Amino acid sequence: MSIDTKDFQPKIVGFTCNWCSYAGADLAGVSRMKYPSNIRVIRVPCSGRVNPQFVLRAFQKGADSVLVSG
Amino acid sequence: MKRIGLFVCWCGSNIGGVIDVPAVVQEASKFPGVVYATDYKYMCSEPGQETIIKAIKEHNLDRVVVASCTPRLHEPTFRKTLAKAGLNPYMFEMANIREQCTWVHSDEKENATTKAIALIKRALSKVSKVEPLYESYIPVTKKALVIGGGIAGMQVALDIADSGHEVILVEREPTIGGKMAMLDKTFPTLDCSA
Amino acid sequence: MVAAAQHPNIKLMTYSEVVDVSGYIGNFEVTIKQKARYVDHSKCTGCGTCFEKCPSKVPSAYDFGLGTRKAIYIDFPTAVPNKPVIDAENCRYFKTGKCGICKKICPTGAVDYEQKEELIQEKVGAIVMATGFDLFNWEEAYGEYGYGRFKDVISGLHFERMSNASGLTGGKIIRPSDGKEPKSVVFIKCVGSRDEAKGKEYCSRACCMYTAKHAHQVLDKIPGSSAYVFYMDVRTPGKAYDEFYRRTVEEGVQYIRGRVSKIYPSGDKLIVMGTDTLLGRPVEVEADLVVLATAMVPSKDSDKIAQLVSCPTDKDGFFQEAHPKLRPVETMTAGLFLAGACQGPKDIPDTVSQASGAAAKVCALLSHNELATDPMISQINEALCSGCLVCKGVCPYKAIEEKTITERVGGKPVERLVASVNTGLCQGCGNCTVACRAGAANLKGFTNDQVLAEVDALCR
Ligand SMILES: Cc1cc2nc3c(=O)[nH]c(=O)nc-3n(C[C@H](O)[C@H](O)[C@H](O)COP(=O)(O)OP(=O)(O)OC[C@H]3O[C@@H](n4cnc5c(N)ncnc54)[C@H](O)[C@@H]3O)c2cc1C
Ligand code: SF4
Ligand code: SF4
Ligand code: SF4
Repeated sequence: MSIDTKDFQPKIVGFTCNWCSYAGADLAGVSRMKYPSNIRVIRVPCSGRVNPQFVLRAFQKGADSVLVSG
Repeated sequence: MKRIGLFVCWCGSNIGGVIDVPAVVQEASKFPGVVYATDYKYMCSEPGQETIIKAIKEHNLDRVVVASCTPRLHEPTFRKTLAKAGLNPYMFEMANIREQCTWVHSDEKENATTKAIALIKRALSKVSKVEPLYESYIPVTKKALVIGGGIAGMQVALDIADSGHEVILVEREPTIGGKMAMLDKTFPTLDCSA
Repeated sequence: MVAAAQHPNIKLMTYSEVVDVSGYIGNFEVTIKQKARYVDHSKCTGCGTCFEKCPSKVPSAYDFGLGTRKAIYIDFPTAVPNKPVIDAENCRYFKTGKCGICKKICPTGAVDYEQKEELIQEKVGAIVMATGFDLFNWEEAYGEYGYGRFKDVISGLHFERMSNASGLTGGKIIRPSDGKEPKSVVFIKCVGSRDEAKGKEYCSRACCMYTAKHAHQVLDKIPGSSAYVFYMDVRTPGKAYDEFYRRTVEEGVQYIRGRVSKIYPSGDKLIVMGTDTLLGRPVEVEADLVVLATAMVPSKDSDKIAQLVSCPTDKDGFFQEAHPKLRPVETMTAGLFLAGACQGPKDIPDTVSQASGAAAKVCALLSHNELATDPMISQINEALCSGCLVCKGVCPYKAIEEKTITERVGGKPVERLVASVNTGLCQGCGNCTVACRAGAANLKGFTNDQVLAEVDALCR
């Protein structure tokens, strides 16, 4: 995988807090905003639930970047 | 062996107008453990929920995934549906393919379809691991605290007290009444405010 | 007011503040501080002898300095409770150790200079916030109205204290500067409201109506007077509200659409300069009194009480309801409800309806003997727990407790300390699960296994 090709589409995994950023992602939808489709979100009850192990596992399994938000 | 049921919602054209729902159902139904998969125009509607209940019974499902709107909206609804069908309501997971997929990716339909499949597989994968959960119970102290003794606090306190419950009304000034006690006559009727 | 004080189910605690709150829905523990009144209200009959004879006079803040009160005082004649408190800062006895007149003359011996503040603990199942509002401090923001330098530029609430028959002027509207009755009164609306530059973005909702009321009172009480209202819009969306406003226009209140750019003194009068945007020309009005309809803002220190009870606030500091349309009297904190202007500016009809709504929610809650709790909470595997209690330190809800268990080691019973989750307090945040190195803490509904399975599925 090389990042200088133009077609590179990163695989992004997001961990978002149910009460704030997950709700924010919902609001982006309700407001019909647009963003690239290559982020996939996992809902967690609090960003404090995100064990570093989860992030490492994502990279291990091929994620190009991980977003933790809360 | 797990017996998962998958229900994909069109949400009218909100979802169905962007992604290829039948293709999504077909692809996702290959996931290990899925024994029944279908789609419907409004999953949350009464006939939609009936579809789920019927499928749980007919196909002996032990867990369910609904792919539709955000769980922040209808998770409680569908949990109740499961309970009605005799399943533990926590044997359930939702895939958010509306707020976090079709509404934000409506101009890239193919990618949206791919993403919807991925999101549904996430939910299927999680639901394969869930276990029944049971609510516990905590006692309720039958007394209320009202902070602020203006017209709002007085009204709340009186209504609760009239229903037979005890109320503690805390006001930081020497007297209750708040701003209203300072007023002369009040609109729109111009009667006195005491 | 009297009804609330006399209801057998209401324990009224005035001159008191909530200083600590812990616990959770159905089971809150609160500490209330009863400030020292220096008057034993169980003995006091409210006869008023003390405040007749008290020699220390203080300008009455309640009446915007329109008159004075004593150091031992009640705010107004129909106050509830109708019993005085001593304002120690201004009391001669507390300042110099001499005086003691009130104590000597009180026929029931209720005055008690030794009284101390008291902390009272209570258990409650629900809490309602009803801390109301205060008024925007226009003196700091509005140079064009003189930053409070002109005595005859006053707030609407100050006006109310004058037109109130039980106030110190006995209902007479006067100029604070010389006590004369004003013949020409100018009202300015939206002071601090709908003004992002100097005040708040929002509309305060009650001021259009009370300004109409005030203008009517001027015309009604002062023969031959005139009343002018500078406005941006007239907002009267309530039952019988527009009719009320129309009547005041018919009575002769003159509405001028436009903002005031400057007020300056001329002799003993004030000149109010502005633009009539409907006619597109500047206007000048000679006024004896100017009344400002100032914005409603959250009541003083409401941020502190919000923090105590974990009540979220909005961008303006008002308490945040759980949902603006569907859950207007609830908050995101279970068991905590909202009523009145603490949630946002509102008038009395809206306040009362919201208060009854909140009361209904509380009654519904208190009608249960038990409540079901969310099962998605933390759970400790005692076999794995090493008893390090790192989890206890990271739990934001103080939900982790210590517990001693007995195990059999080599046939002998051995006692050991482990962590244990209080299911009433745990909010299911999962912080403990990440802190726990032994992997003993796990979050039901979001277990390590489950989240890892999700990660795997998404990365495939
Ligand atoms: C000049 C003016 C004229 C008005 N005229 C009218 C009218 O004619 N008709 C109409 O419908 N509405 C009118 N209103 C609006 C009306 O005043 C409000 O709708 C009403 O007072 C709101 O009641 P409340 O109980 O929410 O707040 P408040 O009246 O502000 O009461 C809040 C109470 O809580 C207490 N408190 C605050 N913080 C704490 C704390 N931490 N601990 C304990 N106690 C606390 C305060 O001391 C106060 O007693 C007018 C408002 C103004 C400013
Ligand atoms: S109610 Fe009227 S005076 Fe008050 S802020 Fe709104 S528009 Fe301005
Ligand atoms: S952090 Fe883990 S091992 Fe340590 S006390 Fe808590 S649950 Fe037990
Ligand atoms: S899940 Fe959160 S609230 Fe519950 S015990 Fe753990 S840290 Fe505390």
